[in-house]
Amino acid sequence: MRQIRPRPNYLGAGGWLWAGNYKLERYLYILHRVTGLGILLFLLFHLIVTTFFRIQGQAVWDSAMAFLSNPLFKTGEYLVAVAFAFHMLNGLRLILQELGFIMTKPIPPIYPYSDSLRRKRPWTMLIIGIIIILCLVFFYDFIVGGW
Amino acid sequence: MRRYTYLWLMQLVSGVLIAVLLGIHMVIQHLEDILRFLGFNLNNPASWNSMIERSRQVTWAGIYIALLAVLLYHALNGLRNVILELTPSARTERVVTWAILAFGIVVFIWASYVPIALLSR
Amino acid sequence: MGNGKTEQITFRIQRYDPEKGTKPHSQEFIVPSTKGMTVLDGLIYIKENLDSTIAFRTSCRMAICGSCGMLVNNYPHLACHTQIEEFHSSRLTIKPLPNFPIIKDLVVDLMPFFEVHKSIKPYILRGDSEEMEDPTSEFSQSHQAMESFLQFTYCIKCGICVSACPTSASDKLFHGPQALAQCYRYCADDRDAGEPERFPVVSTDHGVWHCHLAGACSESCPKGVDPALAIQLLKRRLASRTLGLGKKKPPASTMPPPQQNKPKLPFPDFTVKQG
Repeated sequence: MRQIRPRPNYLGAGGWLWAGNYKLERYLYILHRVTGLGILLFLLFHLIVTTFFRIQGQAVWDSAMAFLSNPLFKTGEYLVAVAFAFHMLNGLRLILQELGFIMTKPIPPIYPYSDSLRRKRPWTMLIIGIIIILCLVFFYDFIVGGW
Repeated sequence: MRRYTYLWLMQLVSGVLIAVLLGIHMVIQHLEDILRFLGFNLNNPASWNSMIERSRQVTWAGIYIALLAVLLYHALNGLRNVILELTPSARTERVVTWAILAFGIVVFIWASYVPIALLSR
Repeated sequence: MGNGKTEQITFRIQRYDPEKGTKPHSQEFIVPSTKGMTVLDGLIYIKENLDSTIAFRTSCRMAICGSCGMLVNNYPHLACHTQIEEFHSSRLTIKPLPNFPIIKDLVVDLMPFFEVHKSIKPYILRGDSEEMEDPTSEFSQSHQAMESFLQFTYCIKCGICVSACPTSASDKLFHGPQALAQCYRYCADDRDAGEPERFPVVSTDHGVWHCHLAGACSESCPKGVDPALAIQLLKRRLASRTLGLGKKKPPASTMPPPQQNKPKLPFPDFTVKQG
């Protein structure tokens, strides 16, 4: 019998984003990853500003602040604040669920099957509600504090 | 085996610490108007004078250095996990791990030098 | 064959023939479907009447063997367990399960999947080899102890969870939700004492710590096994063992055979006259 080499069929990193019509938690996972990497990128720029520019004296600092009060940068700052709120609260949910505190006990499967993430969906919705409230609070401050 | 369990547990613990320390930083920097409404007056934290005043206090320098340490651990460990999930070869994995470790140490030393130097200016 | 009207459903199936060496392409077939027909019935109709070269796996046709996993309208299903009517659509797109190598058409290579399952030692490991080789009586396991892992024993090894997992999509060294859930099933079984042997296999850089609770595995599991719950309980167990929290119970001992102390019931009277 001739050997057939099976053809590789991995979804690759695209499979993180979409592999089928799954429900909420799979997309919270990809958002958690994207916000984490986004905050890391922002951190690098932020460290450059608060170290190089801060240590060079007031003139450099004030001109840097004037440059960064451009509405484009302010929008970027707001997005970072939103990303932080999401990553923190989703991370809190992940800590509680991965250590088994907000997960159900194993029960014998009876049709129609319902997995533990779905049964604890109210907790996930509560966390998303808190995230939305924080986003609105930060939004209010960005508007009032001058766009 | 224990090493990987500790790496993961440290990711969780540093996450909680960041939530506290970075929460303080975000509230001070961004929620100034709400705090003024509640009675705490902060005098425009992004301005030069307010920042110089804060940089002379040891508590603030301590908070920033602690925040930098846990944040660098959490972020760079997360970045390493994302890169490793793309399954590079074993040699690339070692190179990536050492590169991230070196980058983290360099950034930590540089960015914590500044608050300490500003303490005395 | 079924009652009610017949609808013409278009099956768009991904074909791939390794002997011809072409790339995978789609082929469409029109299948007359009645109420109650499953996707597998449609595939068998195609093979018997339209194109006998189409390749797919099937065995029990009742969702217990795990052979017929495939991607139907971008979601993994068991073909025998999924009715055509439940899609409310006259077009079905059928592709082989992702994250497994394709052998031909809808048949995927499950051998690496089984090898990973073997690597986590899916059998009871105990110290007393005499009892394991030559059993004298059963192990005493209470009903509560069995319920703590019973759900995870229903796994039929169909591979649907592995194709749903985002980590399995990119990380070729990841064990996959099935192997990790079965690792927990054996560690949680109180007849087993094999944690020190299994933990170094899963607690690696590409092992259980790359699970980030996307939950797609539990959502798509056709038998309700909930591998995500098993993996989080495994992480909890690994963390508490490493930190030294929680008491480790010794494995279940054997139960002596039941005593002959129940009163014997009287033999009932004959109901047919003897004589």
